[in-house]
Amino acid sequence: MNKENRQNKNTILFIVLSVTIIIAFLANLFTGTVQVPVQEILRILSGGEASRPEWGVIVTELRLPRSVTALTAGIGLSVSGLLMQTVFRNPLAGPYVLGISAGASLGVAIVVMGLSFITGSASPALQGSWTTVIAAWLGSGLVLMLILLVSFRVRDIMTILILGIMFGSATTALVSVMQFFSTEAMLKSFMIWTMGSLGGVTNNQLWILVPAVAGGVVISLGSVKLLNMMLLGENYSRIMGMNITLARILVFFSTSLLAGTITAFCGPIAFVGIAVPHLSRLLFRNADHAILLPATILVGGIVMLAGDIIAQLPGLESSLPINSVTALLGIPIVIWIVIRNQKLTGIF
Amino acid sequence: MSTNNRILHTRNVSIGFSGKKDNTRAIYSDINVSAGESELVALFGPNGIGKSTLLRSLVRLLSPVSGDIYLYENNINSLSGNNLAKQVGFVSTETVSVNNLTVYDLVSLGRYPYTGWLGRLHQQDIEKVEDAINMVGISSLRNKYINQISDGERQRTMIAKTLAQDTAVIVLDEPTAFLDLPNKYEVVHLLHKLAGERGKTIVFSTHDLNIAIQEADKIWLMLPEGIMQGSPEDLILEGSFGKMFEHTNLMFNTGKGEFRIKRDLRRRTGLRGPKKEVWWTRNALERIGIEVRDNESNDIMITITFIGGKRSWKVSAGNSTRHLESIYDLCVHLADIYTRDQDYQTS
Repeated sequence: MNKENRQNKNTILFIVLSVTIIIAFLANLFTGTVQVPVQEILRILSGGEASRPEWGVIVTELRLPRSVTALTAGIGLSVSGLLMQTVFRNPLAGPYVLGISAGASLGVAIVVMGLSFITGSASPALQGSWTTVIAAWLGSGLVLMLILLVSFRVRDIMTILILGIMFGSATTALVSVMQFFSTEAMLKSFMIWTMGSLGGVTNNQLWILVPAVAGGVVISLGSVKLLNMMLLGENYSRIMGMNITLARILVFFSTSLLAGTITAFCGPIAFVGIAVPHLSRLLFRNADHAILLPATILVGGIVMLAGDIIAQLPGLESSLPINSVTALLGIPIVIWIVIRNQKLTGIF
Repeated sequence: MSTNNRILHTRNVSIGFSGKKDNTRAIYSDINVSAGESELVALFGPNGIGKSTLLRSLVRLLSPVSGDIYLYENNINSLSGNNLAKQVGFVSTETVSVNNLTVYDLVSLGRYPYTGWLGRLHQQDIEKVEDAINMVGISSLRNKYINQISDGERQRTMIAKTLAQDTAVIVLDEPTAFLDLPNKYEVVHLLHKLAGERGKTIVFSTHDLNIAIQEADKIWLMLPEGIMQGSPEDLILEGSFGKMFEHTNLMFNTGKGEFRIKRDLRRRTGLRGPKKEVWWTRNALERIGIEVRDNESNDIMITITFIGGKRSWKVSAGNSTRHLESIYDLCVHLADIYTRDQDYQTS
């Protein structure tokens, strides 16, 4: 295919994806455990009065924040997955390889344990409470600090990857120890947190979630040139005059900002970060991050909105845990990509 | 040859790995070599002597244990990363394997030191990329993915990338490894052309001495006793190449400028005939341990003639004479004669 054809194909794909993401967002707004007529939702969104006051509350306080959260989380996790796959030049890297979600769960576990010791009872709803958010954020921030410290001293990217995985495993082990000593009620509320949820984020919290993710995405968009060169590996990057340490720190910071914040508000959400970058590569057949990154943003948003629709399939009393839904959706995609490519070494 | 013969030079460089405290290890010392404008320099030496380490030090991927490397009389340590990237290009031995990356996009990455923070190519960058692609002869591949092209084509693409980088010096680590013979020649010939036509200083390491002798303007020869430099012909006349394989079963043929395996020649024959046929027959005879002695009375005499337009090898041994139609049959026949002799002697 020649260059003009490729550019035309990209333009068409971007238009199709942009239309799809709008449709997916609206469809996500229209689904929920309570039936609200479509015209009512549209009227409420355009500032009109709902014919039943509870519908107004459902749409503005529950549906809208939930859809915005799904969109933001999908974009953020997918972008951080792409960053990690490029930096580590590893097709199986995802937002959590640095141990960021493990750090977050350690923070949350400490809060669950600590709170229950102080108040004598486990808080039933961890998702969305400010305490949980801050604890998770501190936990992932701690892991980020360790990773940055390592990347200042270690140059070999495989070493950094292995240390990241080890930090993650150590943190998970600590969490297991805490779980062992915790009560059944504490265990249950912690387990529910690990299942992930898009529905716990309030309108107020969106004021933190959305700007943090937007910041991470903007840093990534500004790193397009660095990311393209990183594909060729460390030696070629250095010979081109790139400051490898600085570039990695930029990428690790933005990954932690994205994955850390999303995990803090929604709990861990698996496989979106690994699968979406591969889907985008498959669609665009391009290695240029100036194309791949916007593609990943759009596909990531669509996939998470769709996953959330499936999680709230009509007829269910409450929505399914989003972490399981994304895993069930994402695993077949990853398997398909791995089998289709066979040669894993050159999967990008 | 060139006006400036010291574009790149080293002063008392020791290469190796510098670590903390006593961990610093020099693997090769006292390197004083230079490369000039429009010069193609081949770095030659036995495996493991430190060719890659030297090349990596030249492009500042490693720092020398001691000594200094100069680019146009500037110590390379005084240059910023971006400045160095505009003057020195490098092609390493690692294969770039990235899915969905087109040849054109890979060559474009050579413009990295010149583009802004988003890496967008301007008109001037596009012209440099086009020029590089045309220069190495890969214009028909520009929209192919790099994982779909052959090793030789990929090596040309990597060379085009360094051309797009627009540097005075290009350093290549074993650019001909993994290539078949025609591709080896073509890649080295391309480097020769770039040095001559574009005035570039090109240093590459190789194990293909025959090609290097034909195409390189200068050879850096790394031997255990020290590094030597000079035109290939000078090094041949000084007998420097012979030293390289002193302790192996190879010998350097100064007349032909090539390595041959040392042979244990126990038997002798006479050989007569047209020049070309004699040359190749001798080649086969030496392989099976027979030395050709001219103008001597031999037990066995081989005469090559043409009978009805076909070659014929006449073997006269004592009273018997045989006519054979190919060198292969000749070798089989001679082997027969010698085994019979051996049986006779032992019995």
